[in-house]
Amino acid sequence: MHELSFDRLDVDGALADAAERAGVMSRGTFLAGALGGTAALLGFAAEPAAAQSARDVSILNYALTLEYLQASFYTEAERMKALRGRAAEAAEVVGAVERAHVKAFRDVLGGKAVGRPSFDFQGTTEDQNAFLKTAVAFEDLAVEAYKGQAPRLQANSALAAALAIHSVEARHAAWMRYLFGVEPATRAFDQPRSKQQITRVVNSTNFITGSPSTEGRRTPSYTG
Amino acid sequence: MNPQTETRDAHLAPGQFPLPGGNRRSDFLKRAMVVGGAGIAGALVAGPPRSTDAAQGSQADLRALNLILMVEYTENAFYAEALRRSNLKGELRDYARSVAAQEKEHLDFVRSALGGRAEDEPDFDFGDKTGDPDAFAAAAGDLEDLAVAAYNGQGTNVTPKTLAAAATIVSVEARHAAWIRSIVGEPPAPDATDTPQSADQVLDGLRQAGLRR
Amino acid sequence: MSSVTVGRTVITLAAAGVLGFAALLLWPAPESAPRLGGLPGPPTPALDVPAPASLEREPHLAMWAVVEHPATAREAPGAGAAVARLRTRTPDGTDNLVLVQRRARDGRGRVWVEARLPVLPNGTTGWLPRGALGGYRIVRTHLVVDLTRRTATLTRRGRRVFGARVGVGLPQWPTPRGRFYIRSKLVRYRSSFYGPLAFGTSARSAVLTDWPDGGFVGVHGTDRPDLIPGPISHGCIRMRNSDIVRLGRLMPVGTPLTIR
Repeated sequence: MHELSFDRLDVDGALADAAERAGVMSRGTFLAGALGGTAALLGFAAEPAAAQSARDVSILNYALTLEYLQASFYTEAERMKALRGRAAEAAEVVGAVERAHVKAFRDVLGGKAVGRPSFDFQGTTEDQNAFLKTAVAFEDLAVEAYKGQAPRLQANSALAAALAIHSVEARHAAWMRYLFGVEPATRAFDQPRSKQQITRVVNSTNFITGSPSTEGRRTPSYTG
Repeated sequence: MNPQTETRDAHLAPGQFPLPGGNRRSDFLKRAMVVGGAGIAGALVAGPPRSTDAAQGSQADLRALNLILMVEYTENAFYAEALRRSNLKGELRDYARSVAAQEKEHLDFVRSALGGRAEDEPDFDFGDKTGDPDAFAAAAGDLEDLAVAAYNGQGTNVTPKTLAAAATIVSVEARHAAWIRSIVGEPPAPDATDTPQSADQVLDGLRQAGLRR
Repeated sequence: MSSVTVGRTVITLAAAGVLGFAALLLWPAPESAPRLGGLPGPPTPALDVPAPASLEREPHLAMWAVVEHPATAREAPGAGAAVARLRTRTPDGTDNLVLVQRRARDGRGRVWVEARLPVLPNGTTGWLPRGALGGYRIVRTHLVVDLTRRTATLTRRGRRVFGARVGVGLPQWPTPRGRFYIRSKLVRYRSSFYGPLAFGTSARSAVLTDWPDGGFVGVHGTDRPDLIPGPISHGCIRMRNSDIVRLGRLMPVGTPLTIR
């Protein structure tokens, strides 16, 4: 089973946040110290805390990972051509929006953006019922994730951006629920979920995988 | 778990005004002055940090919550009148019933958050928007969109605790907006972001919806 | 002393809590929206979100997937005779993969995928359970080898990006014609015969069926560039070393391969 990198590193951001608040070091250097060189691979550059808000970078990268997940899901569903009618339309429209979100996060994060993971959607993009069920889960999850992180953002500009997307994800959630045949809004107050909780849910899907190993070093045994 | 109890703890309770301390006015004014210039589009800017001054924060919370209160008063009056006039059938009526109940919870929540500082309920004139099903559906969509824009517009003005509480509501308003549009066959979520609105813009929108003072 | 502005009224708050509390009670009576004045407008967001764009039409997309679990490919989705048994690894030590063509659901609603298989007879396809495969990977490239002209051409999104002359199979060991795919890539081995790098394909010699490891056709370099182009091999597609190195930079594993 492959896990989201940040889950292994940092339970709910608590460790790094504590170090940051103590003024000890930026999150980037904290993780670099904890992991040796691998922090760079995960998009955390070791920079001085003064340069920009390390916490906001971390939160934006977390949001980016969830947007990758959604964008890749809808994009694959559109390519599979297994959906019909309003579900097919929804996949096209929502996919285009999630791809726009990915682009926005990548642009603002620049060299600090985490890379796109590999995904295995295990047939959920190839069957209308499975698609809708998964889409509902993804969108509800995205709402909970943004809601959990918004109060933690340090810059007003980042918060404004997060709120502007959070409500769009909620529209998506209602839309997919409507298509699936369940209540678009089941209660008056939507609750947040912590990064730890969200990570646990995403990991449990096994949708995020490692890259295939397609290159080797053996001497060829082809016919020649 | 009762969501009302849970989220009520997350913000100001009546009478709990924090003690003013220190000289942090400059933070508040600096924030007010950089409206519209807080960041360069496309660049991650640290920007003015969220204010940590408790006195400033609580006053902004009160103002923002009173604006939100106007929104919730309007939504509640709108749905209540539409249901009273009883011209909605089928899916529209189911929608109105479910949403009216949720908006009532929102109103109760915001009102109790404000306690003695809550503005009085204004008057409304919704015309045929509460009587004609097509007009109702269009007005409901617009009103829910306005609510989203109002909440999002105040998110950067309030303290983290109030923000957390408001966040539990705004996504539900957005669900309502997509829901009513799905019912009438309009695009439920055509945009990539929801544009926030300022307090003035929201009040204009509420007046257009039927708010009368 | 700190002060705050509400509307046009400046209220000065003393340090003591009681006086501060009292001061707040002196706010003016409600007018049009007095308590709502002074709220800053929304700041410019940190994200610049572009307009959503539809997926481009891509007629040159192909998809492949790793065989994650040993699986039996069948003639039809979830039914029919077994066509082949697939393993998860190749003789090259890499993940086994298949080129995926289309999908269907069986009577029980499970998804099955039709794939090009690396088995004899050449050109065999079969239906695999979706659960046996990993995530879909996309390629936009296509390698076409022309046995008559002895050329290899790589296109990306339909546009030619590489061309080279090739050596192909001798008449007694012909390179098979048909639709295949690139299944693996081998690098940094020691063998001048195969050149600096080699691609394994899903194509197999129909003649050298006892060849160790199955008699797979490769696309690789050579220590006899003087023989290219020409019918020179046991079935493999050989190119000059500088060409195979270039191809190595341009062609991902999973690329569909057409040999005609």
